[in-house]
Amino acid sequence: MALRDAAALAVKELGVAPSSTALTARALRTTLEAIVMQAILDGHYQRHPEARPDLGDLAVAAAEIDGNPLASEPELLRRAAVEIVERHPDASAEEVLLWAEARRASAA
Amino acid sequence: MSQLVLLDNEAVQALSDPMHPKHRRVLSHAQVVANRKQRATEIGLAVPTAVRVEAGWDRTAPSWSFTNGLRITDVSLDPAAANVAAVIRNDTGVSVPDAHLGAVIQSAPADRITVLTSDPEDMRRVAGDAAVTIVKI
Repeated sequence: MALRDAAALAVKELGVAPSSTALTARALRTTLEAIVMQAILDGHYQRHPEARPDLGDLAVAAAEIDGNPLASEPELLRRAAVEIVERHPDASAEEVLLWAEARRASAA
Repeated sequence: MSQLVLLDNEAVQALSDPMHPKHRRVLSHAQVVANRKQRATEIGLAVPTAVRVEAGWDRTAPSWSFTNGLRITDVSLDPAAANVAAVIRNDTGVSVPDAHLGAVIQSAPADRITVLTSDPEDMRRVAGDAAVTIVKI
């Protein structure tokens, strides 16, 4: 009930979707697409282990997709990925970007 | 904020062929899109249909099953897009697939557009004044 109310509020006050039904459908579609996509990728990685990107690869790709200036420093990102994964094995590409930005800021 | 990641011909080729030297690189971008979808980010991969033709990507062919499974949306060359693409081609002399990419870049409703391409110069030319992030693969 609280989730339904929150969706209705987001539609009414924030205009995030034409209706709470549309908002729910969009979220469900995105989730299902993510599940299918990951299943396809996981199957591909099983057949082609050498194709699986490591965290450094993902950090570079994330920076490139976003137009983040760190995309021009792939080695910095790869080093940051190696460093962060020692403490946080499940770190995301975006967390690597934050780590790299923090390291660069502290070094400046 | 919505994001759209577009593929050019070589990006499609690299993604579809595990032996392609850029396969892992383009796959990294697809994995980032998948990860963001898992966090409910509004993001998607797309390919202009003229690019799909250039790449020889037949969605009914079994050899393209992996690429088909990555939820890469077709962007059709409808009459309005054809007009924009024709202007781009007349002005720049680029190929039809690149002109279609330009039309998509100039008219897609996404808040942020990124294109994965082997030819950044041509992408800059076809993008015109549109804001686009160009990634050289």
